[in-house]
Amino acid sequence: MTRPLNPAGIADASECLCHIETGELAELPPPYEDFNRVTLPPLKPERAKNIEASLDDTVAIGIPKPASKEEEEALVRRFLAGLQKLFEKENNWTFLQPLLLSMEHCARCQTCSNACPVYEMSGHKEIYRPNFRAEVLRRIWRKYLKPGGKLAAKLSGDIDLNWTAIARLAELAYRCTLCRRCAAVCPIGVDNGLINHEIRKLFSQEMGIAPKEIHDKGTVQHLRVGSTTGMNPLAAKDSMEFIQEEMEEITGYKVEVPWDVEGADILLLHNAGEMLAWPENVGAFAIIFQAAGISWTLSSEAAGYDAVNYGLWYDDVQFSRVAVKHADIARRLKVKKIVLGECGHAHKALTVIADRLLTGDLNIPRESGMVTLEKIVLGGKLKFDPRRNDFPVTLHDPCNVVRAMGIVEPQRRILRKIAPRFREMTPHGVMNYCCGGGSGFAIMSGYNFSEWRNLVSSRKKFLQILEAFKGEPPEAPKYVCAPCSNCKGAIRDIIGYYHAEERSRLYYGGLVELIVNAMADMKKPLIRFGDEPSWTA
Amino acid sequence: MGFYLLSYLCIAAFVIATGYRIYRQMTLPVHVRWEIYPVQTETAAKAAYGGSYLEEIDWWEKKRGRSLLNEVRYMVPEILFIRGLWKENRGLWWVSFPFHFGLYLMIATFVLLVIHAAFTLWGAAGFGEGSSPRILLDGLIALMGWIGLILGTIGSLGLLHRRLTDPELRNYATPADYFNLILILLFFLSALVACLSGDPLLGGAKAYTLGLLTGGNPPVPYLPGQSAPGILAIVSASLLAAYIPLTHMSHMFMKYFLYHDVKWDDAPNRRGGRIEAAVRKNLALRPTWGAKHVEADGQKTWGDIASSAPKEVK
Repeated sequence: MTRPLNPAGIADASECLCHIETGELAELPPPYEDFNRVTLPPLKPERAKNIEASLDDTVAIGIPKPASKEEEEALVRRFLAGLQKLFEKENNWTFLQPLLLSMEHCARCQTCSNACPVYEMSGHKEIYRPNFRAEVLRRIWRKYLKPGGKLAAKLSGDIDLNWTAIARLAELAYRCTLCRRCAAVCPIGVDNGLINHEIRKLFSQEMGIAPKEIHDKGTVQHLRVGSTTGMNPLAAKDSMEFIQEEMEEITGYKVEVPWDVEGADILLLHNAGEMLAWPENVGAFAIIFQAAGISWTLSSEAAGYDAVNYGLWYDDVQFSRVAVKHADIARRLKVKKIVLGECGHAHKALTVIADRLLTGDLNIPRESGMVTLEKIVLGGKLKFDPRRNDFPVTLHDPCNVVRAMGIVEPQRRILRKIAPRFREMTPHGVMNYCCGGGSGFAIMSGYNFSEWRNLVSSRKKFLQILEAFKGEPPEAPKYVCAPCSNCKGAIRDIIGYYHAEERSRLYYGGLVELIVNAMADMKKPLIRFGDEPSWTA
Repeated sequence: MGFYLLSYLCIAAFVIATGYRIYRQMTLPVHVRWEIYPVQTETAAKAAYGGSYLEEIDWWEKKRGRSLLNEVRYMVPEILFIRGLWKENRGLWWVSFPFHFGLYLMIATFVLLVIHAAFTLWGAAGFGEGSSPRILLDGLIALMGWIGLILGTIGSLGLLHRRLTDPELRNYATPADYFNLILILLFFLSALVACLSGDPLLGGAKAYTLGLLTGGNPPVPYLPGQSAPGILAIVSASLLAAYIPLTHMSHMFMKYFLYHDVKWDDAPNRRGGRIEAAVRKNLALRPTWGAKHVEADGQKTWGDIASSAPKEVK
């Protein structure tokens, strides 16, 4: 019998620490049984020969292999220097107290494991257990940085530190979506999700190691060009012009988008990815705000038209730079408040996390778009015909909006008013499951990572969606309302990967699309199910 | 006197270690918010589904609804009955609850023993032999002591069994985990055996506590260590008091910070307020992170870096 893998095993010399065999992934119901025989094929050796790929069968970062033993040793030293900095207030005042508390008080009761969708769906693979990576970091910290650690490690849990262990830990930090369900259920209040976040920070802030999608093409591009999509201000304005025309063509409603209006009540911040991937979402916001007579504006300044802040997932420094930029744009526009569009991580980043970063006149009030929309929809100024949304609707709760901010009911009150066939997923609200695309996963696709995401981290959400629509005829169109760009991206990929549009007629979109679709003023529907309009006049 | 000396040293270690842990928490810099909902300091209506003040339009113009009652209603069953574990990990609760409740009852028993000794020593009015308050206190000490010892013994045996037999727990267990459980079991078991061997009303514990308050010279002479189980109980209890705050078992009281300073810390930063002042102080700190894109040189502050764009990509 082989010894079960434990945290010390991360340093073992083996080609691959974890492989998911066919049939080990959690079972999918009909008509998706064929996917129960699908598993992630190992990366082809020629693709992985120059990168660190010994954790499992996927790669999120693609760390180049060190050229020599000396380079390996230098990287180990750098890792330890970074680990030390996580526990210094000069370097990590942002999370020092939460980190210390979670490092020192875990009882290893494993209650967190049952809450983790990645661990559960993977067939309970040890490396995906929320406490596995946390325990690796705890053991390294105690052994290599605490006085007398090498001796104490014999009692409190030993671990060897080598480059293999470090490279695996870096990759492993990108197998958790930071949904923090594990932290929500911990009886002590320990947050293994936070420890994962801190591991990512160590690698980025000290060693410059992070997935290119969230660093090079993410925060760096955001700060340099203006958006993680690569759109500069001119391109953003062009996109919006196109969206205005599209919206009039689709709905028959003419909408004007205000840019850079000084003194407007609201600066609306969208995830710029919406402009390219889901233009109808941005257009729907414009229609609602215009119809409600709201004083609002978009910003055409670099970064001002892209609400994302990928720093939230991996790097406090990059996070701070983006957050300050957003706040400064709002300050100079002299708006009364910033309203966040349908982007979950942008919600948490600017409203909650940046709250203890922004001071003085940079501390502009921030509000969730869910709340602003609730006031409009329930305020009575707009007229709705809920029969236009006469199709099954379920709501996906973005972790960052719900579990991290406690914004649970506004979106539901809207749906109850405009979507007569709305039903909840189980569980929902603050105990929701992540879409599987959280913490950057939705935009990470290098190597075969997107396949791992569809098969493992998004699997629980797929099961939940199918369960929510159980009993509905397969041929009836069904709408998954996901008021978050990254979640929408992940759900789009689930639907595509599992052929769920063809097999179950699953469609997805945001909340504002449903609102506009039910507005009595619209001459034509905004929502279509393939070629089929959701209603006819 | 050696036993009393050991107990005094251990109590001092407990006070110093606990005090240090708490002091350190209270002097750490204000961190960014990282709450998880439901936040039980919210109003009961919001906490029931995990809602927050951020659900309100223009929330910053409104008074934040807080509820101490709701917090207490949540915390009491959480602390006493470990409700979270009951909900999320029922199998473990059956052994964890008696273990923890046994420990709580031991702490309560010790408090009662101290009260008993103080009344005896300083002659509280109406606390003479056969008086009702004394009978009541004697009864409570015996009741809590017995229940606590029985539950604690069952709980620590159960936890030890789980750690040894459940692959999920065993795979992560360290020698220190087993040592901790064995030390606690040793205390419960030895105290239980001491009571069973002719001391059902915890007379030995009363006398020893009296000795603790009098520097080892109680008016009623008591020589600790009249029985082997008695010795073990005194030594293991003393060592535990010193040892717990040095280990992860300090979650017993550090849970307060885990919840109030992190999980439920949703206090907004208001202009000109206490949090803003603390944040300004933090922004003046000088990081030394080594990645090029951070551009930390030991001179630039967090404020400088946050308001600059990186020149380097990596």
